[in-house]
Amino acid sequence: MNHTLQKKQKKALWIMALLGALIIASLLVSLHTGVIQIGPVDVMKTIFGAGTDRQELVLFDFRLPRLVIAILVGAGLAVSGAILQGVSQNGLADPGILGINAGAGLAVVLYMYFSDGLNTSLGAMSIFIMPFMALLGATLAAVLIYLLAWRNGVTPIRLILVGIGVNAAFGAALIIFQLKMNPRDFMQATIWLSGSIWGTNWKYVLATLPWIVILIPLAMYKARFLNVLNLGDRLATGLGTRVESERRILLFIAVCLAGASVAVAGGIAFLGLVAPHLARRLVGPRHQLLIPTSALMGALLLLVADMIGRNLLAPSEIPVGIVVSALGAPYFIYLLMRTN
Amino acid sequence: MSSLSTEKLRIGYGDVTIVDDLNVHIPNGQITMIIGPNGCGKSTILQTMARLLQPKSGAVYLDGKAIHKQSTKEIAKKMAILPQTPEAPSGLTVYELVSYGRSPHQRGFGKLTHEDKDIVRWALDVTGVAAFANRSIDALSGGQRQKVWIAMALAQETELLLLDEPTTYLDLAHQLEVLKLLDRLNREENRTIVMVLHDLNHAARFADYLLALNSGEVVKEGSASEVMTPEVLRNVFQIDAEVVEDPRTGRPALITYDLLDSRRNQTPTFEGTGT
Repeated sequence: MNHTLQKKQKKALWIMALLGALIIASLLVSLHTGVIQIGPVDVMKTIFGAGTDRQELVLFDFRLPRLVIAILVGAGLAVSGAILQGVSQNGLADPGILGINAGAGLAVVLYMYFSDGLNTSLGAMSIFIMPFMALLGATLAAVLIYLLAWRNGVTPIRLILVGIGVNAAFGAALIIFQLKMNPRDFMQATIWLSGSIWGTNWKYVLATLPWIVILIPLAMYKARFLNVLNLGDRLATGLGTRVESERRILLFIAVCLAGASVAVAGGIAFLGLVAPHLARRLVGPRHQLLIPTSALMGALLLLVADMIGRNLLAPSEIPVGIVVSALGAPYFIYLLMRTN
Repeated sequence: MSSLSTEKLRIGYGDVTIVDDLNVHIPNGQITMIIGPNGCGKSTILQTMARLLQPKSGAVYLDGKAIHKQSTKEIAKKMAILPQTPEAPSGLTVYELVSYGRSPHQRGFGKLTHEDKDIVRWALDVTGVAAFANRSIDALSGGQRQKVWIAMALAQETELLLLDEPTTYLDLAHQLEVLKLLDRLNREENRTIVMVLHDLNHAARFADYLLALNSGEVVKEGSASEVMTPEVLRNVFQIDAEVVEDPRTGRPALITYDLLDSRRNQTPTFEGTGT
């Protein structure tokens, strides 16, 4: 009895360790699957520095950065979703549904459009510009949602409803600009928007890593505020929380995480919704446990989805976002049916 | 000792003024109950005193200082508020929820200290919910759940405890259990308790001080025997009440009542309604 919290914490730590182990396992499996076959033994050999040059090139310069990106983006989107669900007290919130992804997508498509297509814009500089464009778009969307939802403070339900509206508006604007693109750019943009990890070298890892490694610990630092915000504004205030300003900070963290993720992996839907839900079923709604578990869950899901996307119709690739949607949508419907 | 009072308080929503020029002083170390008809502003006043609502003018004073000039965290160390029918996210355990009561005392990542754990443990014990500490809140009955919420408010370790209709939706025995628990906390822990209550007999039985409100104004304040009179009840609730002395508690008790003649005429008749 005296160890109530510890017992739950211990269980959660085991779950996190298990998720971590699964991530490493999928990482190893992912490393040895692909168009160029490298057996598991050779993978291990290469990791420990005993592989051929060609194996090293494929593993370290092609496959590993992509997998690291999948881990970072999966964790980022999952934590973003966990924060948004906590702040809005609504289990259906995620950066995709709230229009934050669409905002980031619109900014990136506009950037592609005005810099005349992906092929030229993929120069060295734009690798670092893209995340900022996405972030700018995500932030603009978030500010717009926040301002439109404002009426003597922001109530969670207004936040959701306005977010859905903004999402629709941005989606429409996206289509307008896409239709004006030349067919090749249109294809590129469509693939990007459906969510595909195209940032497949170490530069993209470098551009994404700082956002994730700074913002996820920051979200965990704010976990206790998420806990009380989850009880509703009145209780949170009664417990001594500056509700409006904490909510704004947390929204900002969620937006930055989503923006940085969308920048390198496009509009991956459902991951931000599903990962925190699964994590909540495992460790409960206390955010000190929920945030790290969501991050691991998101990373694992995206790794697995990426593996399926790359290998199901090999050598052609299915954008990972479509795999996630194909797996996530049924779960979403299941959730809705269960909550009657 | 924390003290709570209001001065020239004016509260309203939009253009509608609900309370105008309210001056009350909550007696220290006592149980104060706010009674009044639906829509008289009692819950609004309680929430304004707890800084959950902003007054249009006037001020609430906590320890002699205007409440809006104090940080919300400092206030939360002196005053806990339990709003009506609070809701917990599903899957949260009793222990976790009660530990949230430590929020105003926490910093950083929010790891519970030994002191925090001792206080949470005490709050669970004193409210009699320690046996369910591991259970999810969703799995509890209404009465147990209300005690868990009170335990959370207690874990806040405040001298002042404000509750908005803490017995709503509970059956007779559970209502009494909750009120007796609060009464015990008042006597043994010397906490100042303020609550909005609908049941007049419970109010008369457990309150040291009663505030009877109508249309945002205090009609009568004082001890139960001063407030629970047919005249006051007539003015406040528009009822014709028969008040006797409760043989067990010695407090005034309402045994029966009727609507006033003026009000009786307003009740719809079933003749000619055409249904």
